[in-house]
Amino acid sequence: MTLTRDDAQRGTPAPAPGTRTQQKRWRSADVRAGYAFLTPWLLGFLLLTVGPMLASLYLAFTDYNLFRSPSWVGFDNFTALFSDPRYIQSVKVTAVYVLVGTPIKLIAALAVAMLLNLKHSAQGAYRSIFYAPSLIGASVSIAIVWKAMFIDDGMVDKIGQFFGAPAGGWVGNPDMTMPMMILLAVWQFGAPMVIFLAGLKQVPAELYEAASVDGAGAVRKFLKITLPMLSPVIFFNLLLETINAFQVFNSAFIISGGTGGPAGSTLFYTLYLYIRGFTDFQMGYASAMAWVLVLVVGIITAVFFKTSKSWVHYSGETR
Amino acid sequence: MRITRSAVLGISVATTVALTLGACSGGGNGETTEPGAGDALDTDRDITLTLAWWGNDDRASKYEESVDLFEEQNPNITVQTQFQAWDDYWTARNTEAAGQALPDVMQMDLSYLRQYGATNQLADLNGQIGVNLDVGGFDEALLASGNLEGGQFGIPTSSNTLALFYNADLLDELGIEPPAEGYTWDEYDAWLTEVSEAGAGEDPVVFGGPDYSVTFWFFLQWLIQQGVEPFTEDGQLGFDEADLTSWLERTQPLRDAGVVYPIERTKQLEPLGGFTVNEAASEFSWDNFLAGYVADSGTDNIQMLPIPSGDDGTTSLFFKPSMLLSSSASSEEPEAAAALIDFLVNDPEVGRIFGTSKGVPAVAEQRDAMEIEPGSVDERVVAYEESVTDQATEAAPIPVEGFGAIEAEFKRLGEELLYETIDIEEFVSQWFNGAASSIPQS
Repeated sequence: MTLTRDDAQRGTPAPAPGTRTQQKRWRSADVRAGYAFLTPWLLGFLLLTVGPMLASLYLAFTDYNLFRSPSWVGFDNFTALFSDPRYIQSVKVTAVYVLVGTPIKLIAALAVAMLLNLKHSAQGAYRSIFYAPSLIGASVSIAIVWKAMFIDDGMVDKIGQFFGAPAGGWVGNPDMTMPMMILLAVWQFGAPMVIFLAGLKQVPAELYEAASVDGAGAVRKFLKITLPMLSPVIFFNLLLETINAFQVFNSAFIISGGTGGPAGSTLFYTLYLYIRGFTDFQMGYASAMAWVLVLVVGIITAVFFKTSKSWVHYSGETR
Repeated sequence: MRITRSAVLGISVATTVALTLGACSGGGNGETTEPGAGDALDTDRDITLTLAWWGNDDRASKYEESVDLFEEQNPNITVQTQFQAWDDYWTARNTEAAGQALPDVMQMDLSYLRQYGATNQLADLNGQIGVNLDVGGFDEALLASGNLEGGQFGIPTSSNTLALFYNADLLDELGIEPPAEGYTWDEYDAWLTEVSEAGAGEDPVVFGGPDYSVTFWFFLQWLIQQGVEPFTEDGQLGFDEADLTSWLERTQPLRDAGVVYPIERTKQLEPLGGFTVNEAASEFSWDNFLAGYVADSGTDNIQMLPIPSGDDGTTSLFFKPSMLLSSSASSEEPEAAAALIDFLVNDPEVGRIFGTSKGVPAVAEQRDAMEIEPGSVDERVVAYEESVTDQATEAAPIPVEGFGAIEAEFKRLGEELLYETIDIEEFVSQWFNGAASSIPQS
């Protein structure tokens, strides 16, 4: 397979002269129907996504405070960000969460996916059970349960005391809230796991058989076959989970009661954005924060794509 | 599973953009309200009003019962109700205010009165007074707390004032007497130390009380005792860095000695606190909190004292409206809205339904209609307010615009101070920086 999609189109033979206009008409009717079916989504996209986005871009350059009409302040909001200690704090908290949490979550997802890929009579049941946390994980209730587990004399505290760890819940201890948040994220590994699992099933069994014949061990097979064959899926998951991690909000909001506490240790970027916008009414500042986040996530995504050429192998691509 | 480069790009761009930017857009200011005599209520036409409040299910059933009575008396009016918990309530109202869509009648708090009143969100009810709204039963000073530069933007439903609550059973166990009336702040600090020392051997450990200095209203009350008006006429701060520093330095020895209830524990108990789990013997709060304290702690024997006295030996208490009722400036039915407010603040039957759950009713007819059992929570709250009436020498400070934000910031910095991630100097400078951006310059 050396044909890309563009080559394929260019290579299509031109239709016979007599059918050309007919086909054109047919095509435009097709296009019209396509747009007609697209309209509901398109309206929603324009009114609920593009419209508010443009509004927030404008507001980012104003001092809009929800109650008074906005007035233009230029780049003031953006320059103010960098002298705001809480903003710096929120960037630090989010960076740690993304840099530490995402790799751990992906490794856990891949490990479980590989276990679940083994042939076993109860395979289906195991897959459902391991996916379950992700189904309920996004809900508010799980954050509440999490908080109850990590509180003074909660389950985790009791287990810790049994093994001689210093007593005390994690929720009230600023040093322990980040590990707690990362654990919550890792526990919800289901979505990337399912994608990994699907990817693993696409790896041709002949490759492993051939490697076995050549005397390769399990580690070598994993490093030389599984990882390279899986690289598009790894890339996809890495990208998606990184972007998601930047946007963590619900769990931090619930566990800290909307304050980003204790002592700013769960002050995630989006949570601070929300506090600025809806508690302090500083919508202009909040909009500026949102756009900085979009830019940063955009740049990180671009860097991922640039570097991906060296380690991601798409099937059907030759170099 | 085949994943192409362009699919990955498409999905990632879509997720980034769609999830990151949930921004808000909103309109500008409404028109100014014209004071003047309003029209009489129209009884021929069908009218629909919207009514919103913050609170729990218990309050909701009380409101519903009252609204049913109102609809019985005014057959042409239908009232649509909605309620949320405190935080969500303000998020919803703030968003509505940005879109000029506030409810016809809504519960208002003193903290937000200026925010909404000074930005033309609320109707000036002066025009309705004497027409559809009777304020004859109100104490002048209490009514004035809903007044802003001549405009009556809220009608207080009930009043409350600060009190010291103490857990009498817990003190008995420790063998310590409650503070004697007329006690000073320094005497209270010494008493806290005494309780915490006695309670250190208990299981669980008992403390004297939480660190009161990180609550904004107590700081304001202390300022008033010092003769400092917290807020100026033109809606700016009336105190400076030095005032805040000396207030926070007063209690530094308590924090250093570990006398106050530990913040690590408080954070985990939220929304309860050390006092309501019977691990702290005392706490300052608003007097209408008694019902909640009794319910949460499971102890009925919670007693009340006035707050500590200032240097001149007086407490300089003030009655503040525990809540107000306001009408939206964009309401299309100002007469009916005023009639509903009138009913809710004046009708004796409504007074009986609510009791002291919103504070002590502002109007005598409602107070008298309450069915007060001797020794009940209602009776204790009413008795407390009566006992401190002659101490309540001050008018409630009218909060500046942005009060909600600076109050929240005070609480947040207080938390960091207790965690020792910042010191007093950083607290003061960060709080004043925040206040400068939250309070619009006049």
